[in-house]
Amino acid sequence: MKVLQSWLQQYIEFSLPPDEFADKLSKLGLEFEGVERTGEEYNGFVVGKVLERTQHPNAEKLSICKVNVGTGTLQIVCGAPNVAAGQKVAVGMSGAIVPRNQHDPSGKPLPLSTVKIRGIESSGMICSEYELDLGKDADNILVLESNAKIGKPLAEYLGVADIVYDIETTPNRPDWLSHIGIAREIGAIVGRKPKLPKLKLKEAAIPVSKHLTVKVQDTQNCYRFAVRMICGLKVEPSPRWLQNALKGLNLRPVNSVVDVTNYVMMECGQPLHPFDYALLKGKQIIVRQTKRSSSFITLDGQERKLPDGVVMVCDAEREVSIAGVMGGANSEISDSTVDIVLESAYWNPSSIRRTSKLLGVSTDASQRFERGADPDGVLYGLNRAAQLIVDMAGGELLKGVIDIYPRKVKERFVPLRPERVNLVLGTKLTTVQTVRLLRLLDIVPTKRGSKRLMFRVPSYRVDITREIDLIEEVGRVYGYDKIEDKTTATVDFAHFFPKESHADHVREKVIGLGFCETITNSMQETKKAILGGATPARISNPQNREMDTLRTSLVPGLLDVVARNFNYGNNDLRLFEIGHVFSRDESERPKLVENFLEEQRLCLLMTGMVAPRHWGSPSTCVNIFDVKGKVIDLLEQNGLDKGKFISYSTSDSLVENRIALEINGTYGGYLGLVRAEVLNTFGIGQEVFVAELNLELLAPTDKSLYEPLPRFPKVKRDLGFIVDVGISAEGLQKSIKEFSSGLLQGIELFDVYQGDQLPAGKKSLAFSLELMSPDKTLTDAEIDTEVRNIVTHVQDRFNALLRSVERST
Amino acid sequence: MDSKVTQLRHQAETEIAAVTTQQQLEEFRIKFLSRKGLIASLFDALRSVKPSEKPALGRLLNELRAHTQGLYDHKAASLESVPKRRTPMDLTLPGRRSYLGSKHPLSQTLDEIKSIFVSMGFGIADGPEIEDDYHNFEALNFPPNHPARDTQDTFFLSDKNALLRTHTSPVQIRVMEKHPPPVRIIMPGRVYRNEAISSRSYCVFYQVEGLFVDRGVTFSDLKGTLVSFIKQFYGSGLKYKFRPTFFPFTEPSADIYITCFVCGGKGCKLCKQNGWLEILGCGMVDPNVFRYVGYDAEKYTGYAFGMGVDRIALLRYGIDDIRLFYENDVRFLNQF
Repeated sequence: MKVLQSWLQQYIEFSLPPDEFADKLSKLGLEFEGVERTGEEYNGFVVGKVLERTQHPNAEKLSICKVNVGTGTLQIVCGAPNVAAGQKVAVGMSGAIVPRNQHDPSGKPLPLSTVKIRGIESSGMICSEYELDLGKDADNILVLESNAKIGKPLAEYLGVADIVYDIETTPNRPDWLSHIGIAREIGAIVGRKPKLPKLKLKEAAIPVSKHLTVKVQDTQNCYRFAVRMICGLKVEPSPRWLQNALKGLNLRPVNSVVDVTNYVMMECGQPLHPFDYALLKGKQIIVRQTKRSSSFITLDGQERKLPDGVVMVCDAEREVSIAGVMGGANSEISDSTVDIVLESAYWNPSSIRRTSKLLGVSTDASQRFERGADPDGVLYGLNRAAQLIVDMAGGELLKGVIDIYPRKVKERFVPLRPERVNLVLGTKLTTVQTVRLLRLLDIVPTKRGSKRLMFRVPSYRVDITREIDLIEEVGRVYGYDKIEDKTTATVDFAHFFPKESHADHVREKVIGLGFCETITNSMQETKKAILGGATPARISNPQNREMDTLRTSLVPGLLDVVARNFNYGNNDLRLFEIGHVFSRDESERPKLVENFLEEQRLCLLMTGMVAPRHWGSPSTCVNIFDVKGKVIDLLEQNGLDKGKFISYSTSDSLVENRIALEINGTYGGYLGLVRAEVLNTFGIGQEVFVAELNLELLAPTDKSLYEPLPRFPKVKRDLGFIVDVGISAEGLQKSIKEFSSGLLQGIELFDVYQGDQLPAGKKSLAFSLELMSPDKTLTDAEIDTEVRNIVTHVQDRFNALLRSVERST
Repeated sequence: MDSKVTQLRHQAETEIAAVTTQQQLEEFRIKFLSRKGLIASLFDALRSVKPSEKPALGRLLNELRAHTQGLYDHKAASLESVPKRRTPMDLTLPGRRSYLGSKHPLSQTLDEIKSIFVSMGFGIADGPEIEDDYHNFEALNFPPNHPARDTQDTFFLSDKNALLRTHTSPVQIRVMEKHPPPVRIIMPGRVYRNEAISSRSYCVFYQVEGLFVDRGVTFSDLKGTLVSFIKQFYGSGLKYKFRPTFFPFTEPSADIYITCFVCGGKGCKLCKQNGWLEILGCGMVDPNVFRYVGYDAEKYTGYAFGMGVDRIALLRYGIDDIRLFYENDVRFLNQF
């Protein structure tokens, strides 16, 4: 909302420098978005008096003028025929910039300096209205009022020197969308009430009802509808002060009638609409809804499609205005208008909001009505505008108002318990103080009691209906700054809530494993989103096709990141993301919103070299076992030793060499090599391995008690077997574990060989066994027996050949 | 006896000086320090000395043994440090490195915010990113026609009910639905707004929401807690101000501004020339919200607050393009 300093000062006097003014208003919740001075284009222009005019010796059409500009007398060469001694004129002095150069075809600004014109020195310019951008006459100089004060800055003389405050208002305060509304807040600052313009209406003898009837059919949405009529007026441009006021708010002056309605709206917040009476058919106004969809041409010349059910103002035959939003071209005020009907109404806010949204039109009027105008402001606004129009455009104001008020808005009373103020704000205000603060806002007590007071709320404060609304007002006017910053807090109640989220815990671990955290957009194109395999959730109003679906997997987002980094030559990547994935799911699984399934996942991605290049080690690329190893590391860090890897070939569209992970018997995710076809679509030409895990299942197990350390030494034996290539290492290892006595404490596969040294179809697997007893140091004989039993078992069960038995350290 | 000790001391000092190899050192040890060595034999001789002389002589022998042991240790250490191989090693060669993990700047900022509130007694809660109209708007006291419910601001999923949450505030509702008061939590998370992607805005961003409900929680407590946060996070020298504003789910409501730390309050591009930066929105939980979740608004009061993490991180690291957070260029990520 833009407001003018001079305009505000009509209602309340205040003399605060802009900075302080801004600070004080901001304490009440009115934040300044900008402060701008108007009339600065007239810097360097003053009122001057032509003392003497003589003929230029070298040019017939030029004259030499001596001009008193207050600070001295200037010699100015002037080409206008109407310049004469004794005139008060607008003088641009050296250094000023003439807004429009009349000798330039496009009227570009012209900076002034002292120059010689046909041999005569000229210090400045006596300006025409064209040059000052005030009118069309470029030939004659502008002659000012004879009582204009010599030396006065021209901007002040013209009444355009002003300060425009651009104030950010909140949607709950429609009353702030007017100068009087802002003046009321200033009143709370300075402790005085704003003075509203006095109305003195002179009415003619003929009553308005003689020329017009009004029917409100849609009483659901039209709360109040009032009209007046002015007859025999002459539509002309508005006086300069009115034009300046509107221009200051970036409103375009049109004519006196239209300008007054805009002015009054900006003054008191009441939108008004004038009709040309001659264009209203049947001397009738009817407020009703459109019955079927039709089209309607609004004031701005646009043809708009109206669906049925839109509230309209109509005459006897047709629609003439979209209620509360915009008038129609068919009844618009023109230069030939003689009689007008002036409408002032109060509409159902949600009906206006609906219309405005439906038609995609938002106007100054609709913005006010949809937030809630002042039901009691209807007549004030109407009368104020009627008076100003008569003052400017003449004509007779017919007697009376047709005021149809089907849904009377009652006076509002709101209770307040003073102790509740302190309970919410943490203040120590007395009842007297509380009442005094509210009085500053014209909220006055009607019933007093020690525990409960009743306050009458002004009609324009549509935001106040409850006790908490009054408490807010008390806090606001008292000042948030004065409320103590209390730092004592109770911290010792039982908490249901953890101090660290599960994701935070996992994040630290994964970073520790050498991965870079990424955060990617969860909205992606369908093509990518479906790679995850689940039925994706689509956005019904996406920004574009690249973001119309929610991710079902974290992998595609990370592949985008890989592609981006490859472009910059970074080919060795270890990335991870922790985030939500989404899908539609028709199963019985519990869901929070409709059939949308949401799951938090961790995705690890590895590509490129196993380790940074180093002169002392060979360079090798990552493979599936690097990812598998990282997953095992992560499980172990979280105390999850029950992880089980199940490899199977599926028709998974995202990865091949897929390994599923089971944690404590539940599916917990998968790992694998991203399919080459997928990598191709991302433009990635290098193997990429991923693991995508369900974060919930990675929850660390509580480990509360430690295990005592073994007291006796462990012994190691390495066993090498030759077996068929089809035998799985994991199966063999598991079998040994299950077979062995309690002495076998650990087993690890440390070598796999397949090649020339072995017969075709055979491979060698070497395991390292750890043997130990919790009760004693094992003898060689005991160890040998255990090892022999294991060897025999493996030979029998897997048809294996023992390749070697070695002691190891 | 005394002279023998002195003589042996000289002998040891002379011989140790000649030692240049481990083998010679070992010979030295056996000769002087072993159980049958020269010093041990002197200790044997001690037995036949007069009792009155024993203590003094014993002390001398002990000193001799310690001195000789010291000579041995010193030599042993100096022999160790001599390179065993003759070919010199180029120690300027680079060391063996590993890939280093890194935490995303948004996560780092979130962590910092969280740790401050956790230290003040807040727990952590979270909720779904797909929400329904009830939790995202209605129970937060948004009127039916509120502009935020427009498709211009909110991403909807197929109908007007399921949507991508536009703020973390619905987590407040979900938590209060489940837990009776008191509740003191922060709720960090990802939110979505239908905003054009530019250097200043992205359609996905992060928020941290806070909520404290108990008997006797006041606006004064809200101020104290958030001032404490601001001082811990931004530094205690900073100026701040609370200004009235409007949110549907809190009343009274406030915006918190701090002195612009780029210009120190003089006015610059970042603070739009007014010297202040808006960093937090907050207020007392509106009684209507309590009504929706079944809390007794007469018994309990509470405050809530929310802040945008992306903006804080932008300011904190001097980043001028918000898209960098979501592009994940490792040259960017590795800086944090």
